[in-house]
Parts: sequence; C-alpha cells; structure tokens
Amino acid sequence: MRDDHYPPGTVTALLETDWVTEPTRQVLQARLLPLPAAPRFFEPKTFALLDAVSKLLVPQPPPVQFVDLAARLDAALLADVGKGWRYDGLPPDKEAFTIGLQGVEESSMLLFNQGFITLAESEQITVLTAVQNGLAPGTTWHYLPAQRFFEELLAAFVELYYAHPLGQEAIGVVAMADKQGWRQIGLDSLETQEPLALKQQTYGP
Amino acid sequence: MPMRRYSVEEVVDAVVIGTGAGGAPLLARLARAGLKAVALEAGQHWAASRDFATDERSQRKLFWTDERLSAGQDPVPFGSNNSGVGVGGSTLHYTAYVPRPQPDDFQLFTEFGVGVDWPIGYADLEPYYEELEEFLGVSGPSSYPWGKARRSAYALPPLPLNGAAQLMQRGCDQLGIRTSPAPNAALSGPYFQEGVGWRAACTNRGFCQAGCTTGAKASMDVTYIPLAIHYGAEIRAESFATRLELDPAGRISSVIYDHHGVEQRQKCRYVFLCAGAIETPRLLLINNLGNSSMQVGQNFMVHTGMQVWGQFAEDVRPYKGIPGALISEDTHRPEKVDFAGGYLLQSIGVMPVTYATQLARGRGYWGEALTRCMRGYNHTAGINILGDCLPYPGNYLELSGEMDARGLPKPRIHFSFGENERRLTAHAEKIMREIWRLAGATDIWSFNRGPHTIGTCRMGHDGAQAVVNSEGKSFDIPNLYIADNSIFPSALSANPALTIMALSLRIADRFLATIQ
Repeated sequence: MRDDHYPPGTVTALLETDWVTEPTRQVLQARLLPLPAAPRFFEPKTFALLDAVSKLLVPQPPPVQFVDLAARLDAALLADVGKGWRYDGLPPDKEAFTIGLQGVEESSMLLFNQGFITLAESEQITVLTAVQNGLAPGTTWHYLPAQRFFEELLAAFVELYYAHPLGQEAIGVVAMADKQGWRQIGLDSLETQEPLALKQQTYGP
Repeated sequence: MPMRRYSVEEVVDAVVIGTGAGGAPLLARLARAGLKAVALEAGQHWAASRDFATDERSQRKLFWTDERLSAGQDPVPFGSNNSGVGVGGSTLHYTAYVPRPQPDDFQLFTEFGVGVDWPIGYADLEPYYEELEEFLGVSGPSSYPWGKARRSAYALPPLPLNGAAQLMQRGCDQLGIRTSPAPNAALSGPYFQEGVGWRAACTNRGFCQAGCTTGAKASMDVTYIPLAIHYGAEIRAESFATRLELDPAGRISSVIYDHHGVEQRQKCRYVFLCAGAIETPRLLLINNLGNSSMQVGQNFMVHTGMQVWGQFAEDVRPYKGIPGALISEDTHRPEKVDFAGGYLLQSIGVMPVTYATQLARGRGYWGEALTRCMRGYNHTAGINILGDCLPYPGNYLELSGEMDARGLPKPRIHFSFGENERRLTAHAEKIMREIWRLAGATDIWSFNRGPHTIGTCRMGHDGAQAVVNSEGKSFDIPNLYIADNSIFPSALSANPALTIMALSLRIADRFLATIQ
C-alpha cells in the first residue's frame, strides 16, 4: 500500500486564493477556527475519555497540524446535527455516545483494573479492539451493541477529521480549489494548485 | 421571472408534494396545460452558486436528515446519497448517471419467475426517455452498445473520462468486457432550453453528490422547476405536508402542511404525492389512507451496489471529473449464473469524506491503518455495480413508536439482502476484483451497499396487490396520484432517476388526458 505524505500548509494557503469560491472559503475558514477547549455537552471526565479515544482512532502525529476532534464531536452533539438515520438497536446519538463511553471505562476497569486514560497506549488499543469486535466485558454492552457504538463513534470522528481543511491537507486533497473547474482530469494529470506527494526522505521523525 | 402565487383559500387544480425527479417534471407538465399547480417542498430553495460550497460536511444540507430507524440484517444508511431535501429533491445530490433500463428489466417475473413484472413496459416509457434526454441535455456516446437500438442520438457528446474511467477501461479491455463513455445528465457543452435559458458546461468538479455549483448537472432546480415556474406553477419551499384531508365523498379536499411552525391548509382538486419511497408511504400510513391493499410500505428495495476500490501507482485524484464516466452493460444478463436479473458496471470517483467513512464503516479501519490508507486517497479508484434487487416480505417500512420533532412517528425500515442479491453480488465482486487486478491495482477491497430507495407503494393492475394503477392513480382515492420511486414494482438494473422522471411525465400526460 502507498504511504504518501504531502507538504504542510497547502490547503490553508489555497483558501486565501482565487482558486476557491467564496461560499467554499467561508465554510472552510470557519472550520479552521479552534473550538472552546471545555466541553459543553459531555461531562469533563467523559470528555477526557473521549479525547483519549479520538487520538487513538484518528492519530495525528506531527508534522500534521492537530484537529480538536473531541471538541468538534461535543459541539456537533450539542447542536444535535442529525445524520438522517440510526441503527434500530441503538438509542439516539447523544445517549449512545454517553453510554458507550461509560462502557469503554467499564471494560477498561474489568480488563486492567484502571481507568482508560491512565492505561498504556497498548492497553487502550486492547480495550478499543475488544469493543470494536464485540468482545469487551461489561454490563453496558448487554444493552448497548458494542460494535454498532464503536462504528458510530469512529465514523463521527472520521467525518469530522477528513472534512477539516487540515485533515484534507494531510492527504493532499485540494478538491476545494475548483473555482476554475478542472481541465486535467486523466491519470497522472495535475494542475498547478494540486500538491505533489513528498519524497520519502523529506518527512518522518 | 416572478413566480405566480395562489391563495390557500383558492381551490387549486393540483398540489404536488415533493419537487424531486418525481414531482418536478409532472409539475411543469400540469402548469403547461394551464392547471393551477402548487408544489410543496420540505426543504429550502437554494441558489447553488451562492449557497453551495465544495465541502461534503456543509452540503449535508441537501440530505434528508430527519431520523429514520434502520433495521434488518443489512440496515440501510439514510441521510446521505439516497434521500434529498430542498427544491430539486435528491437530484440536488445525484451523480446524474442516466442509463436507460433495458426492455427485459420490466419483465423480471416473465423472464425468471421471481419478483414481478411492471404493468407497463419499455415501449411506454421510451418516448419519455427520449424527451428527457433531449430536455435535460444528456451527454453520452454517439452509439450505445447495449439494449434496444436508440432512435435518437444523445443531446451532447460524452463527458471526458477521468482517472477511474481510464483505469476501468484498461482492466476491461484485457478481460474482453466492452465499455463505453456513460450517459450523464450533465452538460458537455453549453445548452439552451426554452423556458429555462442557457446552462453552462460541466467544469469537471467531481462533487456532484455534494451539489452542482455551476448548473451543468441537470438537477430539477435548474431544469423542470424553472420550466414549471415559467408556465405558472408556484413552489412553496420549507413546507412539509403532514395531513391529507378528505371530503365526505372520500376525495382529498385539502393538503395540510407545516410552514415555519404554522399549519397551512391548501384546498385542491388533485394531489400528486412525489415524496420518495420513504416519505410517500410514511405520509399515507400516518393518515391511514390509500392502503386497502395493505401494500403501503411493503416491497421496500434498494439496488445491489457493491463498490470495489483499489490503489494505483498513477495519480488519480478521485475528486475530479463526473464520478461515473464509464459504463459497461455486458453483465446485464450474464450467462451460466445462479441468480435472476443482472447489473451494470460503472467507474467511480469519490469524495474524500465519503471514502474515509467507508473505510471506517466497511473495513473497520482506525488508527494508523486508517490514516495510512487515506494518504493513498489520491491514488484510489473504484468500480461499482448497479443491479437488481428482489422484493421480499421481510423488507418493509413501518411507523415506529418514536416521535420526531414534529410529533410524527419516525419510520422504521427493515432490509436484508436475499439469496439472489448475495449471488449477484458475489458474481460482480469477482469480476470487479479481476478488472482492478488487471488494471494494476493493489490493496483491492470491497464495500457492499444498497443505494437508492425503491418500492413501498407498488403499481400494478390489481388493487388487491398494488397501491396505484399503471397510471399512478390510487386504487382507493380517486384524486390521489403517486409519482416517484415508491411505485416501482421492481428495482431495474439501471439508476432510477431517469425512470422516475419518465414515469412522472407519463403520469401527468395520462392524467391530463382523463380530465380533458
């Protein structure tokens, strides 16, 4: 599989240019603004757990600029932005996420006798993998389907991340720079605003 | 041009509920015939160049996001790509892929002994397909290799092939599968229509599913809606129909709708329900109307729609070009198979959030596996099938006990693929993986899905087994018509929008013939 890395700053720079339409610029520049660090939907303790989970589900190691995914999910739940459907066996999103995070904590205690955020990363991964596979211990999972909860939480973070200009920058996507349309659309045909992947030796630790 | 307005006190000739592929063509037809027609649309009336961003998240405003409960073995995700809201309905976010069905699609039962036949055939819809392709400005190949020979050329030459299309062509050539540039309802050149005006050519933004900003894509808001307004129809946006009121004779006398929290009552002579395969049966069930057959909500179908993805050495940048640029119908009726029906193959580009969400939901990827795979997004291309899906008794829509913000019951939709769909999909997956292998792909993986919503108010000859007759007219309520994907008796192995529009025009013409 490929492992491309792209130069930082491409999307944020493009947003200032005439490659981007005004409605697109407004939406994406607004999204670049950081959100308040304190949660408004989740309890602080649950939010700390959510934050730890988000960093494992969507890791953002430097030099990629960090996107505050937990804060964005908190804001989305507060705004009650519906997605149009839910699995019949799950309660509404707000409830499902709150209960599911309690379940993650419960499984963590049962597996390692410690709260999730104090676990080593490898242990945290063990807990999350067990939840994803429906194998995590805990009474929570008797009434909340663990696999469905995990899928919903993951999908929510993934959407928030790759809709973010910095998430798109990390994968070299400049779809938003389409004000003039695209003329070079075939294989290996790039236009001037499309970034090339970096050579292997120019990134990494 | 200023839009004509009607009073709610006035008895208008027709109220059309929904402004998508089902409602808009019919609305224009009724207005052209001089009828006083009012369309109710739950969503907003957008101005694309001002209101649409090249951004999947903010463009979710084009999706119907009122919550639906998805049950069954293969629960259907709603709210993205299969139900639209806003003037233009789901055509606001369709990819505009408009192959015609083939004549045998309408006779699945005759051919295979499963499913049902349509009460009308290809010949009934053919003139409408021709009219639509001309009016919408469909771009397509000069000669189309499959199906009944065309009597007329596509309005415009095909759109250019993007990277995914070139790759699929490469793999198919080696397998001996014929391909063709696909028919797409997006303009490959500037196009003029009386009553609509000039529409500009497609600029190859690949964000059709997030809304077209240029008007090149033939969504209803830039085609039949302006035409309907030109002929004197009124569009009432942000108007959600909640009740149908009957007179003592059992005819609908008015449509009750919610506009910004205020209840309105529009008096009318006829009602055309075009709210799609979820909201149409939901409205009838909430009102307990039109269901003497007990078929309202039954026979819910999707399409078989597996996607197979691969990564390539070449730069693809899958956000460019019309997503479905290439087609093959060589698998329309494949030989020596163990299933009924068939499918088409299409190349697909994909928007980044859509692809990432599939990796999460379909592949269960997270952590480094996810972010690494996404770093290969620019080198990703897909192939997708669009195939038949049979109706089963266990696949249906019902009202749940859970209320939405309006105090109306949320719908619960049960769906599980059956044996026929599993066999068809397995056949298709093998071919798609082989095409990608020969085209040079690595990391090939499949994402199974069921796009589109179909059935739930089946049309037929017999009022004991169908909700509407072959002209879209309710068997129970003499002034109620349904014109949308809910009346499809079978799914067809072609994308539904073109046929929804063709049915819409035909239902309008048949209706007009009866009242004149």
